[in-house]
Order: sequence, then C-alpha cells, then structure tokens
Amino acid sequence: MPVTEPDGRLHHIAIRHGDVGRYVLLPGDPGRVEKIASRFDNARHVATNREYVTWTGELDGVAVSCTSTGIGCPSTAIAVEELVGAGADTLIRVGTSGAMQPDIRTGDVGVITGGIRDEGTSRHYLPIEFPAVADIDVTIALRDGARDAGIPFHLGVAQSKDSFYGQHEPDRMPVGPELRRRWDAWMAGGAICSEMEAATLFIVASTLRVRAGGVMLIFQNLDHARPTEEELAAADVERVIDVAIAGLRRLIAADRASGRRMEVAAQGVPG
Amino acid sequence: MTLAAEPARPLEEPQHHVHLRRGDVGRYVLLPGDPGRCALIASRFEDARLVAKNREYETWTGSLDGEPVSVTSTGIGCPSSAIAVEELARIGADTFIRVGTSGGMQPGMRSGELAIVSGAIRDEGTSSHYLPIEFPAVADLEVVLALREAARRTGALARVGISQSKDSFYAELEPDRQPIAPQLREQWDAYVAGGAICSEMEAAAIFVVASILRVRAGGLMICFGAPDLSEEQLEADAARFNLDPLLDTAVEALRVLIAGDRVAAAGEGRRPAGAAGAR
Repeated sequence: MPVTEPDGRLHHIAIRHGDVGRYVLLPGDPGRVEKIASRFDNARHVATNREYVTWTGELDGVAVSCTSTGIGCPSTAIAVEELVGAGADTLIRVGTSGAMQPDIRTGDVGVITGGIRDEGTSRHYLPIEFPAVADIDVTIALRDGARDAGIPFHLGVAQSKDSFYGQHEPDRMPVGPELRRRWDAWMAGGAICSEMEAATLFIVASTLRVRAGGVMLIFQNLDHARPTEEELAAADVERVIDVAIAGLRRLIAADRASGRRMEVAAQGVPG
Repeated sequence: MTLAAEPARPLEEPQHHVHLRRGDVGRYVLLPGDPGRCALIASRFEDARLVAKNREYETWTGSLDGEPVSVTSTGIGCPSSAIAVEELARIGADTFIRVGTSGGMQPGMRSGELAIVSGAIRDEGTSSHYLPIEFPAVADLEVVLALREAARRTGALARVGISQSKDSFYAELEPDRQPIAPQLREQWDAYVAGGAICSEMEAAAIFVVASILRVRAGGLMICFGAPDLSEEQLEADAARFNLDPLLDTAVEALRVLIAGDRVAAAGEGRRPAGAAGAR
C-alpha cells in the first residue's frame, strides 16, 4: 500500500481514498489539469502538492479525475501507485510528444500501444525484457475517440526517454553516438512518437493489474522542420484533450455495456 | 497476391530455408511451431495443397472466403521463427498469426483456455539481433482484435495478455537442475507478478521482426496447466486435451481479418480509415 499520512492523505499526491474516480487522465503538466477538468461536469479542485494537481468531476454521470504526473517516469510511477491506492483503476496518459516517422505531422495524435523502456524507473518493477504494453480496451477506446473527434491518428509504440535534451541535442552529450544509434533503431522498429512517461505507466499498471493507455499530441515534426501555418494551427493541446475525452466516453459506455462496476471502488482495487 | 498484374520475369530463386517463391503463399499465414500440425490446420482451408517442405518448414496453401491463405511451421524457438517470418514477408506475406501450445502462468487459468497474445517478454536471444531490448514486442492491434472477435464467435474461453517467450524449454520445466536456477525462478516470479499469462517460445521474435518489416503479427496459444492445478488435475487435463478450439479460432480470426481488410480496401486504401501510420 502507498504511504499515507496520519490524516489519510497519500504521501505525494495529497488526496484521500475516494477523492478520485476510477478513470483518471494523466497529463504531465500541472498547468493543464484545470484545462482538462473544464471538460468534466461539476469539476472541483481536490489537491495540489509538488507537481501533482488533482481535479475530480463527472463524465456521463461517472466520477472521473485528472492528475498531473510531472515530467518523467519517477514522478509518474508515484502518481500511479498512489492513485490506484485512492481507488483508480483506469489511467490514461494525455500529453505532447515529438514525431518519429516522416509521415507523422504536427497536429496528429498518437494512440500508444506500447512504450520503449528507454528509462530507469520501470526496471525497479520488472526485468527489462518484459514489454510495456497498453491495455487493449483503453487503446481501442482512444482509437475510436480519435475517429469521433475527426483527428488524424497513428497507432504504435512510443519511446519513453529519461532525458529531454539527450533526444533534442544528442550531439552535445558525451554518449551522443549511442543516443543517435538507438534513436535510429527505434525508428526502424516503427516507433511513432517520443515522450517521457508511458513505459513506466504501462509497467506499473501491469503489476497493479489496472488498465492504462495513452494518447499524445504530436508537437514536433521528425525533421525538426518549421511546422507549416496549418500544422501550427493544428498543434493545439485542445485537440488531444478532445480525443482523450471522446475516448473516455467510449470506455465508460463500453464498461457500462459489459456490466463492469461503475462506482468508485469502495475497498481498494478489483483484481 | 495475384501474379497476373506483375510484369513477366524469370522465376525467382526459392527462399533459402522455407523453399517458397512469390505466389506460393497468401498474405495471411498461420505459424504453428510443429510441422506435424500444418496438414491439420490446412484441412480447415479450401483446396489446400502442400507447397513446400524443407528442414522444419512445411507450408500448405489454400483459401478462405476466396482469399489465398497459408500455414507454415516455424520449428521450435525464435531463431528458426525469425527466418520463417523474414522469408515469408519477402515473398508477399504481410499478416502472421502464431498458433501453438503454451503453459498457463496465472492462478485460476484452466487447461484448454486460449491466450490471445498482445505482447511478449523478450526472454530470448534472437530479437536482440534486431532491436535493443527496451523495445517492446507488441502484437498488431487489428490482429489482436480479430482473435478476440474470433474467440467470441467460436465460444472458446480466451483472455488477452502477455506471453513469456523463452529460449529453453527445460529451464522452464525443470529450473532447479540448471546452474542458474535461482535466477530462472526469480525471473519467472517477476513475469507472473507482471501479469504474464502463458509461456511459449516464439512470439517475441515474431513480433519484433514483424515491427521492423512493417507487417502485422499476433499470436493465439492454447494453455496447458496453471500454477495452482494439482498433478491429478493436470493428468486429467492431458487426457482430454483438444486442439480444436485453438485451430478453429485461429482460422476464424483469418476470416475476420480478410473481411476487415476487404472493407478497408473498398474504402481508402489497404489500412482502415484514419490509421495513417505504418501499422
């Protein structure tokens, strides 16, 4: 069980059990939480502590939340552990990323099927050969959400890296040649986008037996070429929020149809 | 995969190991490990014929709903499976479903249950010759969905999850007689804790090689045993072990994919609308 303070608040995210719905959207940036929560009904601020801001509201009559993870896998793993401790069982990363294929352009979205474990945190959970895989039902819901929102999407694997500047300016790193070699391998393997949290989200979710997925706005072209006016107009974070909300609605509807229990878990997490 | 539209050219050399040329197989190929199972699988196709047999690679081609489909055995293990996928993709195959037997890894699983493999643990040596170990061995989403729909149609008990792809059968079966027994046990426990549902020997390399070649791959395994089943239960299960649910579901999944691909082709190109990516 996650570390809990005497007043019942979880150590880092500072919320109590039941403060969040079972569905939680996970942006990296605390500044985006309120923007996302504005799409919920009856949204209210629940807690702010360190990089973790949490809002809870409703979507189609079901409790849903949004919690920021901060940048990187270490803080994301903490958020996932504590949110599951608070009753969440479905976690969707919503963020921005860079394109890794020439046909993927700024303004498109990436629906993530798996994460390249190019980071240190997930190794504290499972051996490196274990795949970081998104939940199939969450992935389908996000894909269908992208179709509902009418936004071009790409399904595939994300690179989850620990160093933003190692990716953006590899040549000034002492390990530059290795960074370049690995980047080329990820591209050859078909990776669609580069971000910093998905692999750990998926691995921690696997060990906790909860569902996780991710949808990323493509914010930068592969060739670092200046985006066109059209692409700039499309590179609005509202687009990926549109997809995440549409996907969440799909998931809520599918869960209802399958008879899955819809209320917030009263006693820990099912399974 | 019709040859009619292509310009006339000399008959190409057959692929080195599978002994097949372009036109010998459909774009959809089932991949059992055991060559002895190819004829059994092909008997579910229409007009099935043996096309080649070399080493552990036996290939039959027939049709399903008017579409050419094939079955090629991979032999046991990732090294021979990687060769099969490389050579089959080179002659026009672009959709692979591994079909085989495996051990159940989660308590509560039943012998005969099907595992739809969504990703694989790269506990093998072959896939590291392709991509660094951090890259996930992930099945194609459309193939996974087709397998799930097929299981719904055949009524087979099935679950979606991750398989362990190992290189040593006996290290898994009898870890304690291996010099690295503590490590084997520790890894196994971690995989189970991570939620792995079945243990087999080919999926990880098939998925990783398919990722690089930009072809689709998935896997359907029939599970035997589970950590919490008694010896008596296992013996009883062995006596009535039946491959029909596995083979029927795999063939049904091909029908689902064929129908979906036809709808997509009638729309805007070979891939479903909106899926602009390579896979």
